[in-house]
Amino acid sequence: MNSLLLHELKRIVGPEGLTTDRTRRQAYECDGLALVRKVPDLVLAPLDTAQASECMRLLKKEGLPVIPRGAGTGLAGGATPHEGGVVFKTSRMRRVLEVNERDRFARVEAGVVNVDLTSACSHHGLHYAPDPSSQQACTIGGNVANNSGGPHCFRYGATTRSILGLTVITADGEVLELGGPEPDPEGLDLVGCFVGCEGMLGVATEVSCRLIPTPETTETLLALFPSLDGACEAVTELIAANLEPSAIEILDRLTIEAVEASVLAAGYPDEADAVLLIDIDGLFEEVHGTARDVEEIARSHGAFDVRTATDAKDRARLWAGRKGAFGAMGRIAPDLYVADVVVPRTRLKEVVLATTEICKARGLKLSNVFHAGDGNLHPNISYDRRDEEEVARVLDAGTEIMKKCVAVGGSLSGEHGIGLEKRDEMHRVFSEADLDAMLRVRAAWDPDERMNPGKAIPVRGCMEVKTKPLPVPAGGGRS
Amino acid sequence: MEPQTLIDYTRSLDCIHCGLCLRTCPTYQLTGAEPSSPRGRIHLMRAVAEGDIEPDASFAEEMDFCLLCRHCESVCPSGVEYGALMEHTRAGLAPKTLTGRVVKSLGFKLLESRLMLRLMAGALRLFQLTRLDRLLAPLLGERGSALSKLPPVGPAYERRLLPKESPAEGAQPVALLEGCVMPELLGEVNRATVRVLNDAGHAVSVPSAQPTCCGSLHAHNGELERARALARETIAAFESSGDMPVVTNSAGCGSHMKEYANLFSEEPEWRERAERFSARVRDLSEVLNPQVSPKESSRTVQEPITYDDPCHLCHGQGVRGEPRALLDATGLERVELQESESCCGSAGIYSALRPKDAERILEGKLEALRSSGARTLVTANPGCQLQWQAGVKDAGLEVEVLHLAELLDKTSER
Ligand SMILES: Cc1cc2nc3c(=O)[nH]c(=O)nc-3n(C[C@H](O)[C@H](O)[C@H](O)COP(=O)(O)OP(=O)(O)OC[C@H]3O[C@@H](n4cnc5c(N)ncnc54)[C@H](O)[C@@H]3O)c2cc1C
Ligand code: SF4
Ligand code: SF4
Repeated sequence: MNSLLLHELKRIVGPEGLTTDRTRRQAYECDGLALVRKVPDLVLAPLDTAQASECMRLLKKEGLPVIPRGAGTGLAGGATPHEGGVVFKTSRMRRVLEVNERDRFARVEAGVVNVDLTSACSHHGLHYAPDPSSQQACTIGGNVANNSGGPHCFRYGATTRSILGLTVITADGEVLELGGPEPDPEGLDLVGCFVGCEGMLGVATEVSCRLIPTPETTETLLALFPSLDGACEAVTELIAANLEPSAIEILDRLTIEAVEASVLAAGYPDEADAVLLIDIDGLFEEVHGTARDVEEIARSHGAFDVRTATDAKDRARLWAGRKGAFGAMGRIAPDLYVADVVVPRTRLKEVVLATTEICKARGLKLSNVFHAGDGNLHPNISYDRRDEEEVARVLDAGTEIMKKCVAVGGSLSGEHGIGLEKRDEMHRVFSEADLDAMLRVRAAWDPDERMNPGKAIPVRGCMEVKTKPLPVPAGGGRS
Repeated sequence: MEPQTLIDYTRSLDCIHCGLCLRTCPTYQLTGAEPSSPRGRIHLMRAVAEGDIEPDASFAEEMDFCLLCRHCESVCPSGVEYGALMEHTRAGLAPKTLTGRVVKSLGFKLLESRLMLRLMAGALRLFQLTRLDRLLAPLLGERGSALSKLPPVGPAYERRLLPKESPAEGAQPVALLEGCVMPELLGEVNRATVRVLNDAGHAVSVPSAQPTCCGSLHAHNGELERARALARETIAAFESSGDMPVVTNSAGCGSHMKEYANLFSEEPEWRERAERFSARVRDLSEVLNPQVSPKESSRTVQEPITYDDPCHLCHGQGVRGEPRALLDATGLERVELQESESCCGSAGIYSALRPKDAERILEGKLEALRSSGARTLVTANPGCQLQWQAGVKDAGLEVEVLHLAELLDKTSER
């Protein structure tokens, strides 16, 4: 890399803000999807918006690809580096700039970790609703870019519902102030356009987030089922009955075993083949009423026990177990493929059954833990990325699962984004014209397509797309 | 060294790259840098083993930067044995790292000989009395600051060793590990430990054959051969005391001794002896019973008090509730310290070798102490106690730093 450029960049971000040595760069070769890897040429970590903008201007002059990165917990390869690219990370931008408890918003730098935002406002009786299971690690900027969900997004909506304003650095270094603390400013909703952009429209450096009052009462139920089918049917009926818990999660047998063997052991019973973990919140009366209805439905679908968490500690334990489920699967195999499909909630049982068949036919180890309330399935396949033949079977199963979901009227991704992993499946749900429209939106922000090139939108032979084709398709091996 | 032997490859595969450990890591908190995080370090280890990178100076530096506080292990759902992974890597890297070199050249031999420790403590006392230490410290560069931060060394009388037997009746007799620097720098803590044990009815014996050091500092810093030799001596020394509990007031020693078996993966006979020994090891807080501990403060302790979890007690041994229960049994007002499970920067000899990093890590802890409003800070590990004492003094805080044993001793009526 051009040494004059490096010198200039170092002047801006200081020695701690720039990683050039080969060994350390290796640590950035992948995000949470370790299947696809590429060592970046440079890693930049500006401290604030001003530094970020100055750096971006220099990178523009050199025409270098830029890969935004938060904590690198993404599961779709969204932060996988690109040939000759610069990883642009926010992990040093982590100040909570303002908590306004009267107008109920907080302004934070993009590298603030999700839980740190919640702890910064909890003493005001407020919280930030989107709670991805990775919330102990993932950044608000990454949540924005992936429009991340979480168990409680069933009631409170995915990230986009909680974002009021953004400071964005565009590919040429311009600083844009989009939206603001007050809801619904005039003009086109560019905030809405940016949320979910997977780093392809710019780098968010500051975010204004909506805060909501922490509910008066929360009750956590754990319903024990003799089969996964019963748990799925119960969810279908909960939805049909218009009940509105704040979260509805399913964990299956294998997941329960892995969690119970870990430091996050939550006391999930070993006699159940599946559990439903349900949070109900609101006013005291309302909560108890809903809880009774939920319990009745669960029992009518075969739940042999419905337990209620006794206190806040007990609740926290049940949830920590759920949120550590992905990590706990490391006990089964070194890698985990997390599919992220969405299906109509009337078809849960059918699709779960189909995924089981798909994996069985390929001799793969499947576990299930997912946001059932949203119909957002995570069939998890344990594997070892060193085994090429197994990797091929995993990817094939992933494709089959996506096909099945699309066929029943669902979609490819509920919350993890498309990234590299699902990019080439996009044509299953979008026509050529749809994809062209996406490219036009993108070109309006970043005409040179330097921001996170090669992600989310398939590279099609018939189109004139400036991005270089990706060295490795979503599958196998190092490039 | 071959990459295969340098890295404990099988253990490195336990990491599923989820990142749930990032935020707990003090060095990641400082830098926001992936290679300075647990996930990043394991990733680099795996890359070395798979031949993608060389175990060069940058690699060694990242391994050395780690505090080995094991906070990452406490939160890892996948059960990665990070401590063991890192000790293995450091053993192979020793000649390349600063820590490794210091350990080699100065030799932890120092810690292994009571005579040497005595001489050192005596010399240090002389320097301190003549204020020569202030003059010498700058000559040692960055690391000199460690010297000027040591507490005043007491006269020889205060540094006397413990009596071999301190009788008492009513509870199970115990054997006590005396520790290496403990008698020299914190002799009073050792004596307080014996008193509170006696008060609770435990007769205390101090086997004379125990080596000066249990070998934990050796193991953490890559001197596995010496660590094994010291472990054998320790095990043999305490085998003479039957199966009574082996008590320590040092969290670092306790956590290491509870895992002695890891050192002997290739020596089944020693492995078995190690396992039997480890099963007897208890932290002081694990043997004292809050129900029978004498209460009522006769001497003054400034309230409120707070407790800072030593890493090697909470993350290394999973001991969290016991010290708190003992403190609460004294009836003193106790407040929780924010992030009490995060490292204070002491980390064995880390604070001496990387004083700047240790200081930056302590800064956050001092801030938490300030906002807690506590007037007394209790810890349960000698290294942490020294680190906190120096930090509190530098920051000009009116907070007394006590070992758990000292606090219990102060509050018991005799
Ligand atoms: C254990 C585990 C559990 C998870 N649970 C959930 C869950 O419940 N729900 C869910 O939705 N996801 C979940 N995820 C996926 C992941 O945590 C989320 O996608 C998260 O939002 C990623 O945040 P990050 O900071 O790690 O971003 P990264 O992984 O670093 O980046 C993600 C994407 O955002 C872009 N990006 C990052 N920062 C910025 C920025 N400041 N500006 C512009 N673009 C940026 C990157 O280029 C990339 O495309 C989970 C992951 C793990 C490992
Ligand atoms: S929490 Fe455990 S499995 Fe997850 S990245 Fe850290 S060490 Fe690896
Ligand atoms: S032992 Fe401590 S410093 Fe080292 S990686 Fe783990 S958390 Fe970080």
